[in-house]
Amino acid sequence: MTNNPWLANYPSDVPKQLPPVAFANLPELLRNSASQYQKQTAFTQVMPNGMNGSLTYAAVDQMSDLFAAYLREELGLAAGDRVAVQIPNCLSFPIVAFGIFKAGCVLVNTNPLYTANEMIHQFSDSGAKTLVIIDMFADRLPTVLANTSIENVVTVKISEFFPTVVGGVIRGVQKFWSKTLPKIEVKHTKFSATLKLGKAKYSADKVSAYTTGVKLESLAALQYTGGTTGVSKGAMLSHGNLVANTLQMIAHCGSGMRAGKETVLTALPLYHVFAFTVNLLGFYYNGARNILIPTPRPPSNLRRAFDNYKITWLSGVNTLFNALLNERWFQDAPPKYLHASAAGGMALQASVANRWRELTGTPIVEGYGLTESSPVLTFNLLTGLAKDGTVGIPVPSTELKCVDANGKEVPVGEPGEIIARGPQIMLGYWQRPDETAKTLQDGWLHTGDVAFMDSDGYFTIVDRTHDMILVNGFNVYPNEIEEQVAAVPGVLEVGVIGVPDERTGERVQAYIKATVPAPSEDDVIAYCRTNLAAYKIPQEIFFVDDLPKSPIGKILRRALRDEATASKSAKFDASKGA
Amino acid sequence: MRALRILTEEVVNEATVVNEFEQTLLRIFILVIMFGLGAGLTPKDFSLAIRRPWGLAIGWLTQFGIMPLTTYLLIVGVLLPFSNGSDVMLIALGALIMGSVPAGTTSNLFTYFSKGNVALSVTMTINSTLWAFIMTPAALLIYSRLLGIDESLQIEFGELAIVIVGLIIPVALGMLVRKFSSNIGALLELFGSVVGLLFIPFLIAIWVPRNWELLLTTQWPTYVIAIGMGLVGITVAYYISKLLRLHPMNARTIALETGINNGPLAIAVIVAVYIDNPGVDKILLVPALYSLFIVIISSLVTLVFRRANLAAEQKIPNLL
Repeated sequence: MTNNPWLANYPSDVPKQLPPVAFANLPELLRNSASQYQKQTAFTQVMPNGMNGSLTYAAVDQMSDLFAAYLREELGLAAGDRVAVQIPNCLSFPIVAFGIFKAGCVLVNTNPLYTANEMIHQFSDSGAKTLVIIDMFADRLPTVLANTSIENVVTVKISEFFPTVVGGVIRGVQKFWSKTLPKIEVKHTKFSATLKLGKAKYSADKVSAYTTGVKLESLAALQYTGGTTGVSKGAMLSHGNLVANTLQMIAHCGSGMRAGKETVLTALPLYHVFAFTVNLLGFYYNGARNILIPTPRPPSNLRRAFDNYKITWLSGVNTLFNALLNERWFQDAPPKYLHASAAGGMALQASVANRWRELTGTPIVEGYGLTESSPVLTFNLLTGLAKDGTVGIPVPSTELKCVDANGKEVPVGEPGEIIARGPQIMLGYWQRPDETAKTLQDGWLHTGDVAFMDSDGYFTIVDRTHDMILVNGFNVYPNEIEEQVAAVPGVLEVGVIGVPDERTGERVQAYIKATVPAPSEDDVIAYCRTNLAAYKIPQEIFFVDDLPKSPIGKILRRALRDEATASKSAKFDASKGA
Repeated sequence: MRALRILTEEVVNEATVVNEFEQTLLRIFILVIMFGLGAGLTPKDFSLAIRRPWGLAIGWLTQFGIMPLTTYLLIVGVLLPFSNGSDVMLIALGALIMGSVPAGTTSNLFTYFSKGNVALSVTMTINSTLWAFIMTPAALLIYSRLLGIDESLQIEFGELAIVIVGLIIPVALGMLVRKFSSNIGALLELFGSVVGLLFIPFLIAIWVPRNWELLLTTQWPTYVIAIGMGLVGITVAYYISKLLRLHPMNARTIALETGINNGPLAIAVIVAVYIDNPGVDKILLVPALYSLFIVIISSLVTLVFRRANLAAEQKIPNLL
């Protein structure tokens, strides 16, 4: 057992251990917040043009009860049944998600942009019989339904719960102007109708009975992951995992997050585990007003939200912070009421973090976690010592170690694979005992991420084990190279990979998305030469129009490697050179 | 005197203008549009436009520098050498007045559609309209003297005041509504932009049937000048702004603001000053043609600008 040096760095407002969890399950936590903050606004959905709708805590609580009643009484679902949810950030999301928890069912978060094949895999794997989907993407349903066990389809409007006229106008624009409402060719029930049906059969006793058997160790959600290691698998997150991680995250923020007073901007999609736990559960628990952005593409979609609301908190990924920093309106009028920002999902680049602090005058802290850990494992401290470039220290009641290939803990400062233990670690992978056994060993989650810990207990992520490049036997970590290349003026985004090389084993390739005019290849190389050892300098630089990215904007090195191996891909070859 | 029916916000004389109904409709259109534009703005947008006065200064320079000069060069280079008839100087005079007046609300609308900086556009319009009291007569004086016609005119301050009040009040009201309710603000903005879209064909529809004769009888050099001054003004102002490294959004704004002058104001000024001049219809010729073509040119330029804006937009991944 390690001596957990980070414990000495917890500031006075952060507990070293979580007190025993006071909630029997997630619905109890949710109801607790609802009764505490009743009349306060819980969610406000903001469209790019500023049109908006809001729900109070009381309304979310009531309507999620009704949706739970619909699932159980009308559809006849039982506790533990999986319900797939495929909707963007909108007012229906919390009602649907909380309703599923209150029904004792299992939430299967699904990316709305998934293709029919991806949907088929996820729905078949999870065995979901019920799907809640945004109507805009319902055109894929005939194919999907024919190949899965989905029996019930509920369709959600993006303008659900908006004021009537505003909702009608949005609907009209979707229908006649942008033409984004396909004809739905399968049997389905409208979301508004499900609430009516639920209401007809609702009683408070019934609804509370749904979760009597639901304990902290019961399954709450299947969160699919593993796009980076091949086939997508469902991480089983229990009620206890999600409750614990919510409380851990709040506790770790200390006085940096003020109960009942924050307004958080949720631009990341809620189907992603980071936004799900941190923004949806965390800020709901904390009594915040959540500003939901259906799509932050292009980033100018966020402008009205920043204009019209006093945003105090922002969570995001490097890509989002960088995109905002590059927006003129954001530079001109940085948010006045911002209190703090949290970055996760991918490495926060130092250049982005520094520009963010400079422009907004507020702290930005980076954290680390995985879908398998609900997701938060570590975060830098808002009210204590924050070390840039590190992902901070473990959240309360969490242990991390860096180990070598034999599972032995490596000395301080030496890189090793992170393994983690705590109440937020998943139950396992859904119906994949082999994968589970490989990943969960003796209660420790093996992350596949390489990091080192300093003597204060702060962790620095070096890279993913399988992204590491081996040049002449030297370890090259793409993150390190990307960090340097990203600092070259004119470089917007960069992805670094290793490709097989006869002479050196592997060689370093950098794919750059640049501004116009782009920096020259020589500029990049020259900059790298002053900051990196010779073997780390990219041997080849490609300027590309766009980099392949995951749904939250993480640059997909695997996709770059695929492109690179798929012979001389025309796309990359054609754009070679500056 | 051949009947010249022109499109104007001001009553010229009963027989020759758009009828009362169309007149009222136009006013309402413009009011609704400006109201909608206002609902898309916040005080912060204006403070930014003023806090960084470069755009404003450059716009002032292109408005009163480039436009009259362009007009003068087109007169000397195309109109005078290639036109026949004794009334060519009257046409030239009308062109000069058209080139020397400030921008109007049409430029605000096209800036909005071009994804430009509407606050800057409105500020520029107010600014150039205020300056017009001095600058329009000054530009006219200089260039008419160069042409040897030595004209001078005084703009009634009332004319300018109407423009400014008609701009500030609906914009301020729109901003107020948005502050009170962002939903109603967004609805107004949407409504205003729909009206704005209708406004363009409406203008053309009431202009062409009345003046098609004019289109047939006008000589090509006059067309060149009526079309050229807007087109050249927009292009030159755009590249000057780009050269001075203004943000593309502001460059688009200044380009439209420069090239689109206040047609109705020019017509009103001419009518007020030259109504007793037997050649008034010749003086009105370029302003009347310009008022038609600038709408068409601006619509095309807007399409180009929108495409450029889309291309320059940050692409971030599928974060839906």
